Amino acid sequence: MSATTTPGRTGRGFGRLLVTVYGILAFAAVGRSSYELATKFAEAPVAYGLSTLSAVVYVLATVALARGGTGWRRTAWVTVGFEAVGVLAVGTASAVAPDVFGETTVWSSFGQGYGYVPLVLPFVGLWWLWHTRPGNRGAPPEPPTPGTTPAPDPEVR
Amino acid sequence: MVFPLLILVAALCAALAGWALWFVVRDRAVILRQLFGAAAIEAVLVVQAVIAGVRQATSDVALDGALFWGYVATALVILPVAAAWAFAERTKWSSVVLAVAAVTVAFLDWRLWQIWEAAA
Repeated sequence: MSATTTPGRTGRGFGRLLVTVYGILAFAAVGRSSYELATKFAEAPVAYGLSTLSAVVYVLATVALARGGTGWRRTAWVTVGFEAVGVLAVGTASAVAPDVFGETTVWSSFGQGYGYVPLVLPFVGLWWLWHTRPGNRGAPPEPPTPGTTPAPDPEVR
Repeated sequence: MVFPLLILVAALCAALAGWALWFVVRDRAVILRQLFGAAAIEAVLVVQAVIAGVRQATSDVALDGALFWGYVATALVILPVAAAWAFAERTKWSSVVLAVAAVTVAFLDWRLWQIWEAAA
C-alpha cells in the first residue's frame, strides 16, 4: 500500500479513506442509537446505553482523525483505543454470556452485524496513528522552544 | 418505494463506484464530472423519498417510520459529505472514498427496500 503520508496529518492520503469509513460507521451508530433511545430504551438499557456510548465515541474518533494536530491526535488515540477495547470486551462478553445485554449492540459478536468493520477499523486506526506520528519519516523538525535553543557556537567555523 | 428506482439507484451506484475504482487503478483523483454523477444518484434518492412519503401518507402500510426515515436521512447525507471530503483530497484516495460512498448508498437503499417490503 503506497500510503501517501505527511507525518502528523491523519486526514490525508489513506487517512481520507479511514475517516470516510469511520464517518459512515459513526452515522450508522448514531442513527441506530437514536432510534433505540427514542423507541425502546427501557427494553434493554445496557445494550442501548452501550450503543449510545459507541456512537459518541465513533463521532469523536471521526472528528479527531479528520482534524489531526496535536490535541486531536491525542483524542484519536484515546477514542480509537477505546473502540479496540470495547469491541473485544463486548464481543467476548456477548459470546460467553449473551443474556447480559438483552439486545445486540454495534459491538456484539465482534461487530458481525456490520461486516466486522467495527472489529477491524480500530486496529487500522491505531496503525495509522502510529504511522503518521510526528517525527516519523522525514517529518518537519519540531519548532525550537524559546529559551532552550542553544546560541550559535562562535567557535564553529 | 418502487422497484425500478431501486434498480436504477443500484445501477447508478455500481457505475459510479466502477468509474471511481478505474480512477484508483489509474492513480487519479476524483473529477468534477464524477460529482455530477453523485448528484444524479442523489436526485433519484430524493424522488424515491418523495414517492415513499406520498405512499406512506395515502395508504395503510404498517411502516416503522423512525427506522425507515432514519435510513432515508443517512442515505441522503452520505454522498454530498463524501463527495466534498473526497474532492478536497487530490490523490487516488479521493477516488477510493467516492467508490466506498457509492457502494454504501447502494447498500442503504437495499436496506430501505427491505424495511419497506417488510411493512407492505
